[in-house]
Amino acid sequence: MSDVLHYIWLGILAVFQGPALFHLLGFALPAAPVMLFFGLLTGIAVGATPGLAGPMAMAISLPILISVFGFTPDALLPVFGFLIGIMKGATVGGAVPAILFNTPGTPDALMTTLDGHPMARAGQPRRALRIAQISSVAGDTFSDLVLFVCAPFLAILVERVLDLPEKTALLVLSLSFVAAVMGKSLGRGLLSVSIGLLAAYVATGQDFYPRLTMGLPGLENGFPMVAAVLGVLIVGEIFCSIEDLLRAGTSRATADGGPEKRTSDGLQPGDLKRITPYIARSAIIGTVIGAMPGVGSTLAAMLGYTFGKRRHEARRGPADTPFGQGAPEGIAATEAANSAVSGANLIPVLSLGIPGNAAAVFLILAADSIGGFNPGPAVFRFTAPEVNPELVIAFGIFTLMSLGNILNWTIGGAFMRSLGVLARIPNRYLLPVVLLVTLTSIYVQETSFFALWVTFGFGILGYLFRRAAVPVLPFVIAFILAKPLEETAREAFAATGGDPLFLFRSPVSLLLFGATIGSIIFLHRTSDRHEPPSGPRETR
Amino acid sequence: MSLKQANIVFGGLALLAAILALLLWLPNDTGSAMIVHVRGRVKIGDALAPAVALAILVAAGLLIMVEALKQGGSALPSGDNIRFCAVLFLLFSGAIVLMRWTGPLAVWLAGPGEGIGYRELRDSVPWKYLGFMTGGTFLVAGLISLAEWRITWKAVMIGLAATILLILLYDLPFDDLLLPPNGDV
Repeated sequence: MSDVLHYIWLGILAVFQGPALFHLLGFALPAAPVMLFFGLLTGIAVGATPGLAGPMAMAISLPILISVFGFTPDALLPVFGFLIGIMKGATVGGAVPAILFNTPGTPDALMTTLDGHPMARAGQPRRALRIAQISSVAGDTFSDLVLFVCAPFLAILVERVLDLPEKTALLVLSLSFVAAVMGKSLGRGLLSVSIGLLAAYVATGQDFYPRLTMGLPGLENGFPMVAAVLGVLIVGEIFCSIEDLLRAGTSRATADGGPEKRTSDGLQPGDLKRITPYIARSAIIGTVIGAMPGVGSTLAAMLGYTFGKRRHEARRGPADTPFGQGAPEGIAATEAANSAVSGANLIPVLSLGIPGNAAAVFLILAADSIGGFNPGPAVFRFTAPEVNPELVIAFGIFTLMSLGNILNWTIGGAFMRSLGVLARIPNRYLLPVVLLVTLTSIYVQETSFFALWVTFGFGILGYLFRRAAVPVLPFVIAFILAKPLEETAREAFAATGGDPLFLFRSPVSLLLFGATIGSIIFLHRTSDRHEPPSGPRETR
Repeated sequence: MSLKQANIVFGGLALLAAILALLLWLPNDTGSAMIVHVRGRVKIGDALAPAVALAILVAAGLLIMVEALKQGGSALPSGDNIRFCAVLFLLFSGAIVLMRWTGPLAVWLAGPGEGIGYRELRDSVPWKYLGFMTGGTFLVAGLISLAEWRITWKAVMIGLAATILLILLYDLPFDDLLLPPNGDV
């Protein structure tokens, strides 16, 4: 126990006694918390701008952050701080345009429009925003606490129970799970996984001959990860959105008018008591959903709203506003659920090294670019007396997340209420600029036009995936997990003396394969039922 | 062609591509087989992982066909989508050409001469920004014009402002960051 407390303390010290960003009135301001603060403000602004999303801001800021902080382990916490700030801020900011203008800033805020906008139209926009902020931050905080407790235990369990064959089986399970739960069809999910694996295997073998390059010298180093991931995730989404604008006619108004009348605004007496059970229930739903790789926050928001509505209808008094007409419980149920996904999404990343969503992908990209921190079960080794630097970074991340929650509780609400104007920036101007910023950020990292062509090529692939209803996140997760999967399988095969059935020798491995088959058979059948009726695509 | 038939064709194409890759591409474009013997030890070769990926593609193609037969299939790209991709390709190619060649062309036309080319001037203002400004402005203005279906000065000005903002963000504060095309020339 004392080892754990010691490492927690080291993590806190790493955040607050890390390198100084600048000096103010003679005091050195540590870089990590300052970067978290700026990341949070950026995230809220990005979330409040329809058409933008947290992953886009992460993509754009990553090369700048690496240029500022360099490739040393000292850079890890400031860079993670900014990215975590964006992640947390975007979940809160997405409610702003949903409530004020009936335009969800992020896909998971779609359900927030159902009650948030009617409340704003009824003259209580500040009340709606305040309820959204409280619910969102409460859900996020609960989810983070679950992460802090579960991730180390899960990692230690994985290290003790899983050997190389079992780890290979676990990676196979994650890929099949993501393929099964994402999108409308298992076939399309598997298509996405297979193309992601194939793309990652280009020129990455152990032989001198670079495999699958078709003799093209440009491919001898494979596809740059940042170009492939950003191409499919960000550029493909931008292409789709531009085409949607073109087809919808030009200047579709983004705003749906302001409030019709002004009544007593701000939190009303009894609001907190009224929304607390809905927040609690949705926080649990969001956390459970978030802990599963690839299951998006949109599903959490829908389930949270559906369960909340069922409860509300069973207990509603004659004076209570029904769901869909400006019920505070409706806003709380949605916002708590979609925000509770973000912390829990990091459970598979930190404990297993398996990214569960786009934001987690960027944390892995940052760790991969900087070096010195490899998310996975090896991080949580409580060594003594020598210090495990990766574990200190992990507790530094937990400290930053807690700090981010405190900032979201305190200044987040005021800042989000001041950002209504961002929802009025037309997407037709915003998206081309975001594309240029993304391409520029890739060029400054890779310094080659080849990387831009790769980005464009994967952008077209991402566009075609979306038009063919093929989910893109399985591609990205497969691309990232391809190398660890092959390496673990090679080591496991060699360690068992070339046993062709090495994956089926242990009960744990067999159990994991059973879960793989179970996920394919059972989970894809249920995924169809939870598709959102309409609205923006999730940045997958 | 109905959506169901189109999905069956889509699944069939994925299946065909996977089989062709397994039979033709993989054996001819990998340095080792799926399993190799090295100094008396059996190891996994370079061909196994791509073969597994292609086997998943085979399964995906079959499943898409079965799903289409049972449920009718999902949306697929239309001819309009493909034409849109072609327009994007033209815009992107134009932007890359402008980024790559505006600077060298300007140096050739109005540079200091005396055998000094763009490579020698790629760290000096204004030469180093010319390609990025023209190519970036072209890309942004082109996409805005595409979304609005008309060309306006406003689109050009937004493109120009975006490139200037990016120069201020990436180039001025950081000596080690190179804007396009200066890492390639």
